[in-house]
Amino acid sequence: MVNALRVMWRITRLNFRAQLEYRAEFLMMIAIGAIWQVSVIVFATVLLTRFSGMGGWASADVLLIAAMRMLAHGLFVLFLGRMHALAYRVQEGVIDAYLLRPMPVHRQVQLSFFPTNAIGDLTVAVGLFAGALARSRHDWTAGQVAFLIAGVLGGMLVEAALFTAMGCAALRYPASNYWSQWLEELLGTFGSYPLNVLPKALSWLLTFGLPLAFVAYFPAGVLTGHSSTLGVPVWLAEVSPLIGLGLYLLSRLLWSWSLKHYTGVNG
Amino acid sequence: MIAGKQTSGDIQASGDIRVRALTKTFRSSTRRPGALGTLRSLVNPLMVTKTAVEDVTFSVAPGELLALLGPNGAGKSTTIKMLTGILVPTSGEVSVAGVVPHRERERNARNIGAVFGQRTQLWWDLPARESFAILRDIYGVPEDKYRARLEEFDELLELSTFWDTRVRHLSLGQRVRCDLAAALLHDPPVVFLDEPTIGMDVVVKEQVRGFLKYQVEERGRTVLLTTHDMTEVSRLAERVVLINDGRLVMDGTLEEIRRKFGDTWLVRATLADPEAAVSGLPGIAVVQREGPRVVFGPDGPDAPTVHQALKRVIECYEVSDIALEEADLEDVMRAAYQGAGS
Amino acid sequence: MSAVPSTWRTARITPLGELLAPPRIAGAVVQLTIQIVLVTALWRGLYSGTGGQSTAGLTREQAVSYAVLAVLATRLRELDRYSGRDTVIQHMHFGTIVYWFLRPLSPQRYYALRALGDQLYGLAWAVVGYAVCLAAGVIQPPVSGGAAAAFALSLLLGQWILYYIMLLIDQLCFWTLRNSAAMLILIFAQNLLSGVYAPLWYFPDWFVTLSSFLPFQATLNVPLSVYVGRIPLADVAPQLGLQAGWVALLALLTRLVWSRAARRVVSQGG
Repeated sequence: MVNALRVMWRITRLNFRAQLEYRAEFLMMIAIGAIWQVSVIVFATVLLTRFSGMGGWASADVLLIAAMRMLAHGLFVLFLGRMHALAYRVQEGVIDAYLLRPMPVHRQVQLSFFPTNAIGDLTVAVGLFAGALARSRHDWTAGQVAFLIAGVLGGMLVEAALFTAMGCAALRYPASNYWSQWLEELLGTFGSYPLNVLPKALSWLLTFGLPLAFVAYFPAGVLTGHSSTLGVPVWLAEVSPLIGLGLYLLSRLLWSWSLKHYTGVNG
Repeated sequence: MIAGKQTSGDIQASGDIRVRALTKTFRSSTRRPGALGTLRSLVNPLMVTKTAVEDVTFSVAPGELLALLGPNGAGKSTTIKMLTGILVPTSGEVSVAGVVPHRERERNARNIGAVFGQRTQLWWDLPARESFAILRDIYGVPEDKYRARLEEFDELLELSTFWDTRVRHLSLGQRVRCDLAAALLHDPPVVFLDEPTIGMDVVVKEQVRGFLKYQVEERGRTVLLTTHDMTEVSRLAERVVLINDGRLVMDGTLEEIRRKFGDTWLVRATLADPEAAVSGLPGIAVVQREGPRVVFGPDGPDAPTVHQALKRVIECYEVSDIALEEADLEDVMRAAYQGAGS
Repeated sequence: MSAVPSTWRTARITPLGELLAPPRIAGAVVQLTIQIVLVTALWRGLYSGTGGQSTAGLTREQAVSYAVLAVLATRLRELDRYSGRDTVIQHMHFGTIVYWFLRPLSPQRYYALRALGDQLYGLAWAVVGYAVCLAAGVIQPPVSGGAAAAFALSLLLGQWILYYIMLLIDQLCFWTLRNSAAMLILIFAQNLLSGVYAPLWYFPDWFVTLSSFLPFQATLNVPLSVYVGRIPLADVAPQLGLQAGWVALLALLTRLVWSRAARRVVSQGG
């Protein structure tokens, strides 16, 4: 186990140095991560000032949803995120190479390169998170802080579960990148708002069809006292972190299954 | 169905290649060593100059197939890129079918066809036949000539079995055959092939070689071929040019190269009497001795041929077993790469 | 040797590739539909809290129309060439870019033909989608005949500007082999500043002023604002003039860059 961690750390360091080789790219990747997130903040703030009382939520509370989502996403990109462009690399035959090495394929995919944009992502996310907490009007008890952390981690796991599932599709269908890109935009657009702004049918779709609500909306709802208006039983919202964990484990099982049925690139 | 030597109706330009004192240098940036150097390199990198090709001169006559050989990184690909007009030479002259490639790109494009090994010019999401149609439009090939050529290619390369499949689903051998057809669709007098059969299976390789031989002999095209495959060279090439470290080290027919680098042979004899004394004969030296087993090799510039040596060894020694080994082209080229490069 | 009829096959390469793959067509339809439904619901939901008032000069109907048109416009902005290994950066990566320079059709014309084909195909999608959404009452008809004509002209100019922006991004490949970051930044700037995510009118005034110095808002925000009537007919002329100005400037810039780029083809391999 220790050896595995040591190997992972060394590979990560090498990947990081590899990114430094293309100097302009490295700097710009940090920038894009940051810029993207800043824009989300700007956009959210703009909407909040124009449309006060979104779905009955105070602005500071909506900001908490956005902050939790952004931090969860940043952590996902850093730790579990190499699923995104997998379809193209599969076509280049990397999985065939990975299958021959004595390391789990999933881990190799995660170690395939260093996500420089995550640096920018997380910097801004942490900033927003701090800002949202400062503006929130609640007294944070130990229990609430613990739930906050669990909520962010749970959100990270939900996003990881979704994109790992997309990664499984990537093993078979080259066009699946189209869908994972779309998914990313969807999560980004609708993941930062209180979903009760939407009609009931749609918010159900974004809860049980696509588990978007579990990323940040439910945990934030529980923390800001909106548990009763979330549209689902309170207990369900309160166990969001566990749901995140469960979904992620399911996605890993799906990955193992998909890998067993992997037929290789056209040869 | 295969026509004889082409008449003047088909190929218009005289397809010769002329290269004189061709040179190409590159500048690239590298990272300075050390952690501080890395950060410094982010804003102020170190530039290094590399000479890829230096003072190369050779020519290819119309209807000739020239093999361009050399170890990896020797500058072959750079030379071909200059010949096709993709790279502008740092100095020197190049002319293909009477046109300077990098100056008159469009005119040159009509005179040449190119297949670069692993890289396809076909459109990934479309059937190969659609790619042919697109290229027909781009080159302006008349419909009747287009049909006739496709039929000819189909006959030689069996394209119709897979030309309706999308290119992304083709195997390597199928794809390269389509690329060959695509490169020749507009009937260019000059063809550049950069490792066309790399990674192919033996059957398809033979088919492609037969196709190339046909194009040179029956259609009179000038072909410049880069390859690492010595069987291909011996099968197809009349002349060979060897490039090493960016310089031209050898330019001659296969016979000349063999004579200069590769007239090696070995005679392996097992003596009847293991204790018998063995010494060299005029032009024949003892390379190795292990008990009754003796290996003879050529000695000096007047060494006999392997068959003559065999006769001499049998005449002089009592042998219970004897075998010959003649150097194949790979050994010859290896000696040439090493010998010529130093 | 390059009359219009003989090059239509080149223009239709991406559309044909998509049409030959029904799953991709189905996928595009599904994605567009879901997007339109969600976006409509979101904006209606946001406005329900304001009690029917207009915000930033946009009524609920205008905001929803704008948002839905922006979704339809995504088909006009970019088709998927990545899975066909047909983006410039992929051609550079795989080395297949060399063939662009070996054909009698110059790389510039080839690129332009492909873009034209893609945009015409995208336009067909957008028009069909527009008809459907109009019938469903999700989009309002244009406020007047004059607005409709101005919109059409403005959209044409906007698409032209977009073409030059995408061209500049692709030309960047000739200088840096890895340009995915630059591309992401520019695509993102494009999307944000052209109004794909939300009409620019919601942003603070200083932001709107700032973005008016950049060409992005001219690609989408201007045409859509003309359509929904946020830019009244009287104010249209200067906007069209500004768009035309950007077209001229970017045309010159890309022309200069092409001549330098063509000399810098660096493919891998020795």
